[in-house]
Amino acid sequence: MSGLAHFLTLASDGMKANRLFWLLIAGFAFFPIFTHFADLPFWNDVAMRIMLLGMAAMGLNLVLGYGGMVSFGHAAFIGIGAYCVGIGDFYGLTNGWAHMLLGIVVCGLMGLVIGYLALRTSGIYFIMITLAFAQMLFFLFVSLEQFGGDDGMSIDRAEFGFIDLYNPLRLYFLIWVTLALVGLGLMFIVHSRFGVTLRAIKSNESRIEAMGLEPLQFKITGYVISAVICGLAGVLFANWQEYVSPDIMHWTRSGELMIIIILGGLGTLAGPLLGAIVFLLLEESLPIMLDSVAPAYAENWMILFGPLLIMVVMFGRGGLVGLLAAQRQSKNNPKRTKAGQ
Amino acid sequence: MTFTLILEQTFNGLQAGVTLFLVAAGLTLILGIMDFVFLAHGSQVMIGAYAAAAITLATGNFYLGVLLAIPVTFASGYLLEYLIIRHLYRRDHMEQVLATFGLILFFNEAIRVSFGPAALFSDLPPSLSGFVEILPATPYPAYRLGVIIVGLLCAVGIHLLVSRTRIGAMVRAGANNPEMTAALGINIKILFRFIFATGACLAGVAGMMLGPLTAVQPGMGEPLLILSLVVIIIGGIGSVRGAFVAAIIVGLVDTLGRVFLPAILRLFVEQATADGAGPALASMLVYILMAVVLIFRPTGLFPAKG
Amino acid sequence: MSQPVLNLQKLNKSFGALKATSDLSMTVMPGEIHALIGPNGAGKTTLIQQIYGALKPDSGQVSLNGSEITKLSVPDRVRAGIGRSFQISNVLMDFTVMENGIIAEQARLGHSFRFLQPAFSDAVLIEGAKAILQRVGLEKRAEQRVGDLAHGERRMLELALALAASPSLLLLDEPMAGAGPEDSQRMAEIIEALRGKVAILLIEHDMDAVFRLADRLTVMVEGAVIAAGTVAEISANEAVKLAYLGGEE
Repeated sequence: MSGLAHFLTLASDGMKANRLFWLLIAGFAFFPIFTHFADLPFWNDVAMRIMLLGMAAMGLNLVLGYGGMVSFGHAAFIGIGAYCVGIGDFYGLTNGWAHMLLGIVVCGLMGLVIGYLALRTSGIYFIMITLAFAQMLFFLFVSLEQFGGDDGMSIDRAEFGFIDLYNPLRLYFLIWVTLALVGLGLMFIVHSRFGVTLRAIKSNESRIEAMGLEPLQFKITGYVISAVICGLAGVLFANWQEYVSPDIMHWTRSGELMIIIILGGLGTLAGPLLGAIVFLLLEESLPIMLDSVAPAYAENWMILFGPLLIMVVMFGRGGLVGLLAAQRQSKNNPKRTKAGQ
Repeated sequence: MTFTLILEQTFNGLQAGVTLFLVAAGLTLILGIMDFVFLAHGSQVMIGAYAAAAITLATGNFYLGVLLAIPVTFASGYLLEYLIIRHLYRRDHMEQVLATFGLILFFNEAIRVSFGPAALFSDLPPSLSGFVEILPATPYPAYRLGVIIVGLLCAVGIHLLVSRTRIGAMVRAGANNPEMTAALGINIKILFRFIFATGACLAGVAGMMLGPLTAVQPGMGEPLLILSLVVIIIGGIGSVRGAFVAAIIVGLVDTLGRVFLPAILRLFVEQATADGAGPALASMLVYILMAVVLIFRPTGLFPAKG
Repeated sequence: MSQPVLNLQKLNKSFGALKATSDLSMTVMPGEIHALIGPNGAGKTTLIQQIYGALKPDSGQVSLNGSEITKLSVPDRVRAGIGRSFQISNVLMDFTVMENGIIAEQARLGHSFRFLQPAFSDAVLIEGAKAILQRVGLEKRAEQRVGDLAHGERRMLELALALAASPSLLLLDEPMAGAGPEDSQRMAEIIEALRGKVAILLIEHDMDAVFRLADRLTVMVEGAVIAAGTVAEISANEAVKLAYLGGEE
């Protein structure tokens, strides 16, 4: 069997095993047609935000869901990716592919440094250290006056060769293709020898050591890959927003990414994307719902969202993917209703 | 002139340090002894600041505001632990992060709904708004000096509480070995609730004292929360002594760095470069300090667990 | 005489005022089953930890097959030829028996940094995993999740994982602890079958099993060796009787 045919067999096997994710991807491909005929162009924008946040959450999910590393600082990598566009632009680098390459390299290096320092610790220490390093980068960009400091900098959408990003559909599909490729890559990674080892480390680190493997090497590699994915999301985010400010890497965004993963389903391919859909739909719909009940408080939708989050933690384990799996299983096998693998 | 500036900024650094310590003291115990990731500790700072400011505005008396706000913050910590937190001890860290993140969103929004999004300002009483000569011809704001003194008194109080009382002995035992403490029949539930409420109260006091110095507004506690996490990492999780030393170091490094680092850099590099890099470097200084501590002592300067 | 597999020289380890290992020297020869016995608190597990690399001795030398490994990390020592089972079963609970075998096999092959080919359907790894599981007779339970296995089976699986990389020295820390008579019997048979193939350092409280299995014994009290020799020599040793065996009867 030739290399390509082998690859295609692997890919189609993987797609069958991760049907939900690829259905969502297909849905995003057709969504612009729907918005066009329903005359809802605003929702294309929402869909782009969903895909971008979903992509970043998928990156975080590699360490959080598969590797068991609770990183609370991944927004920093989105920010670095975004500033690669902004700062590149500032110095006359307007080629989008160059921005992507720069984002990948810089996020990879930062991921390596932060990962190396933070992964020497575990548990609560790791959570706090990743948060602290993200804050360090946040304040760094706040204090860099030449790049707009607190107010950020507005940027022109980058030149991606023949892809003119000022055509909104082209931007949409650039994001879509990147998301699909990231999904494809992650699908391979989590089932590969590397991914299996990473998951085994989450399950029992000392047994992996007893097998003669150095867990730190795998964790750092996973951390770097996830940082790079978040950086890619950041590069596209900056182009979508036409604007970069430290806000993009505010620590609450790291929290958002975690929420998205938990909502959707930890350690699953479809989970982060599903979570992003639900999260952004809530963000869009809670104010509208509040507006109909108590118009004066429509802006204060967080007052509902906060408790909702606590409820999800207390009562909703396994996320939406787990819920769907449980439903399917109970249909196929009425006796067992527990969420299976 | 320069000496005066250094002295003044050192006092400012001390003031920032003791405030940080008040936030970090409770949090380090919550993280270390209870093994609970509590992100909403910054909200306790905000609750304290709002309680004091609101009562001060209502009664017109600053001292009354602070006096009445203290039991309010203790009660808010106690209730929070009773209603929500105690159900989360057995959950994993990530779930704790999410739930307490939800609490932050809720508290910030609740304050915004109740007090409006604009900052609250309360004036200092005349007795505190003057200056004190810390050295001949070196005036320093009386209120800031008061903050330092109150902070140091609290630190002494916490030290006595931890080292001299029965509760303190339980806290120390808990820091060393939580299972052992439980096995000894110490009522962990009550101990945890007490630590939590006291920690909330201390954070609240920090908020009250910061109120007149900064804007009392929603989300005001979060920068302090993150700096106090840095303090706890440097000092060692679960160590009150470590939190004190690290808080003073971080307060001094942060304050002095912001003022003097650009000037120091100018000695070595061109003015333009120094003016650009100085503030950036200064804002990262405490985090760089944290990274250095991590490299050489991954468990902090005063690790509580042996 | 051939070169010892394990050679410990003047190991010392203290925890504060407590001397857990005191000037301890001993050897384990190729293919022998060497039992380490002693009362509770004698420092047996602390010693195993120092051989394994989870603890570093304060002073002294650990050598494996003639080369010093005192400063190596745990994974490095495993690659140098040490396999281990723990007091509490240490297996990958979230995976199936087969998946445990596959991960052990890929670790043995040393190619874990591969990112494309799915590991759990890799024919080469599956073959290797089957061989690993067959050694302890678990191939029939391959599709079972480890979390659902009985205690005894988990111990077998752990032994299989420890043997996966064909170690030259196997450290067994109470392999029969918590097992029923049937499981203990089965475990003893498997250990017996390993005699001559791999050097085994065994800690076990079941004295009948120890006397049946061991070629040589080392007796530890308070961190030091008080006697070493064959089963017959140790049974006859007055000091051992006084310090240890006598105390239990």
